[in-house]
Amino acid sequence: MEEQEVNQSCENGRRNGEAEQEEDSALQFLDSIDSYLCLMDSLSSTLREGWLELASARHSMGISRITNVLLDLKPHSAATTIKVSSHVFESSSTEDPMVRQPHITLSKWSSFKDGKGCFGEAVAGEEEFKNKSQNPQLRHRNPSQFPEFQEAHTSSEGASLSADDEAKKERTKSLSVFGTLVSPKLRAAQHSFESVLEILVEIANKRSLLVWDALGMEDDGVPWWVLGW
Amino acid sequence: MASRTQIPTKNAALIAMIADEDTVTGFLLAGVGNVDVRRKTNYLIVDSKTTVKMIEDTFKEFTAKEDIAIVLISQYVANMIRFLVDSYSKPVPAILEIPSKDHPYDPARDSVLSRVKYLFSTESVARR
Repeated sequence: MEEQEVNQSCENGRRNGEAEQEEDSALQFLDSIDSYLCLMDSLSSTLREGWLELASARHSMGISRITNVLLDLKPHSAATTIKVSSHVFESSSTEDPMVRQPHITLSKWSSFKDGKGCFGEAVAGEEEFKNKSQNPQLRHRNPSQFPEFQEAHTSSEGASLSADDEAKKERTKSLSVFGTLVSPKLRAAQHSFESVLEILVEIANKRSLLVWDALGMEDDGVPWWVLGW
Repeated sequence: MASRTQIPTKNAALIAMIADEDTVTGFLLAGVGNVDVRRKTNYLIVDSKTTVKMIEDTFKEFTAKEDIAIVLISQYVANMIRFLVDSYSKPVPAILEIPSKDHPYDPARDSVLSRVKYLFSTESVARR
């Protein structure tokens, strides 16, 4: 009798634990949906800003100066690209405990011409480069004592300045399709659409997490729709 | 068990676009435009003269290319080829529906949110 009671209380404890776990999964899932919706809102408002700035640029520069007729159809590579890697997550499934999910990183204003390699890689955006170049330099009481350090520091500072220069060059090249002298509104539109790209990358990654969270709520195996994003 | 399909790792993959002129112009300003040696672009500007067949063919072409990681498509354009978009299930390239100037974002048409709605629907709950 006592044994039965003990077994029953263990069973109840296990069920409570499972119910708590399910509730946690559901909350996590709802949080993911909420942040996904916030990202979509942010995307809509940033896109609206970009369109407005583009319309203002068209108004100040003239309709004929910003049309698709002027778009460059000579062979050229994209300056802003995407890196796709797979992230491994632990799964409770015994069939496949290590789950792979795609993860996207944005690479802005990178140049692969002439084997130069990637200069403008930025996940967070342009601000990272601005921070690097604006950070105060380390003070050395006697710089001559540490020539290698000074050289290394100068070269890393040089590398970040070079990345900045490269990004600036690519931006100017993008704008030059519409003429040498462009309206500040066109530059602002360029900046807005760069922000849009960053938001889109976040949305893409959030969608894959949504799928993962949804899986935590499914009891009967992988539904057909989770194979996509 | 999130992905039974292989996830190819790609460096320097492209973003393809199927959208209206202003949206495409904006993204080209941001540096995503690519033209290959055959003068093929990674974007399609949809206007009044663009047919549904052209959009379908471009969508199929972009989703079959290995160097494209994301396909951006305006939601109103995606609605024209809804069957094709909904039946697409590969993880890469990812299809992202975006609002357009004249057609604001409609959450009811978002593929992820409609699937979430199904998950919380009475049918789905009754089945478990």
